[in-house]
Amino acid sequence: MPDTQPGADAALLLRGIAAGEAGALRRLYDAQGARLFGMAVAILRDRDAAADALHDAVLKIASRAGQFDPLRGEASAWLAAIVRNAALDLARARGRETPTDDPTLGDSPVEAEALERLAAAQQSGRLRDCLAALEARNREGILLAFVHGLSHAQIAARLELPLGTVKAWIRRGLVRLKGCLA
Amino acid sequence: MIPSDSEALDALAAEHVLGTLDAREAREVSRALPTHPALREAVAAWEARLAPLADLAPPQAPPPELWGRIEASLGARPEAVVTPLRPGRLWKAWSLGSTALAAGLAAFILLRPAEEPRMMTVLLTSGDQPAWLVEAERGGLRLASLNPRPVEPGRVQQLWALPPGATAPVSLGLIPEGGQASVAPGLVRPEPGMLIEITLEPPGGSPTGRPTGPILFIGRLAPVRGS
Repeated sequence: MPDTQPGADAALLLRGIAAGEAGALRRLYDAQGARLFGMAVAILRDRDAAADALHDAVLKIASRAGQFDPLRGEASAWLAAIVRNAALDLARARGRETPTDDPTLGDSPVEAEALERLAAAQQSGRLRDCLAALEARNREGILLAFVHGLSHAQIAARLELPLGTVKAWIRRGLVRLKGCLA
Repeated sequence: MIPSDSEALDALAAEHVLGTLDAREAREVSRALPTHPALREAVAAWEARLAPLADLAPPQAPPPELWGRIEASLGARPEAVVTPLRPGRLWKAWSLGSTALAAGLAAFILLRPAEEPRMMTVLLTSGDQPAWLVEAERGGLRLASLNPRPVEPGRVQQLWALPPGATAPVSLGLIPEGGQASVAPGLVRPEPGMLIEITLEPPGGSPTGRPTGPILFIGRLAPVRGS
């Protein structure tokens, strides 16, 4: 049988939301809420702030659902980008540029074990291999920024490196990553 | 300032997606995105590259009261007015019987000799009940209702198609009374992945050329395997 499971398909639910279909946003929230809230918590390390970020993100999702283009990417990635941006905006508003020694940082693994969790899907596998080929601190900086929402200054404090060095490393790491994934 | 040099532009896009831009830089990028196609493309490419990393964060159930807060905020916005779709009890009874009917029709299509790649879908209600069988045929579409039910008085049902990659659905016309409808070839080229939906609209159809009412039924055209 062809694929006719809109309940399980975030892209279809986004179409439904764009057309004002009652219940579509709730179904999307039920299906994706825990995944997206987990991302916001990882960035903000504060459940109340993460709830604020997810609240703002869901309102954006509701009003921008019509802009999602299934040809340009996965719906799950589109949703994640909106939630990450909402969480990062909040983190910035909370004064992220100050280097901190946040003791709760690093509760979740960001190193080797985290990479193991990258799904076996081909795209994830390639990203994992390319990240593994980077220098360890370079890789750690990229993961701390992307998964945990750390600023350059916070990464520098955590890795005990000068700010300029961290900025240059991350930039170089991204260029290598792009080359490796190409 | 958004750099014009492509290497610097790509570096900016990468750090925007990574999240390391400061508040001012991030705001500049967000403002430029809608009017800067090269920047938008670079950001989309980096989002695709790094997307799997987002799922390294362990999922956590959001606080139970959060949905209520979201609903309250949505209710405060005028554009969020939607007409709820409430299938009646009779409709539910029809639906139950129709699942077997849908399976039978699908098997019938599968067993027919195919001279062209077959595509079909079953349009479902918001409750995942099968409602219409849609089959691509000689460049057009043929629709058969799996459970005819009366249309809400004073409203009509309008058929739409959204080809993959298109940003706006194309109207394929109003669904006539009775359980059958067909779309002539040329109006839209059926292709795998095309969304097909039926919305509830005012008499004469949507006045805006875009769906304005709730989606009654929706499905995605897919090749019939094994034909």
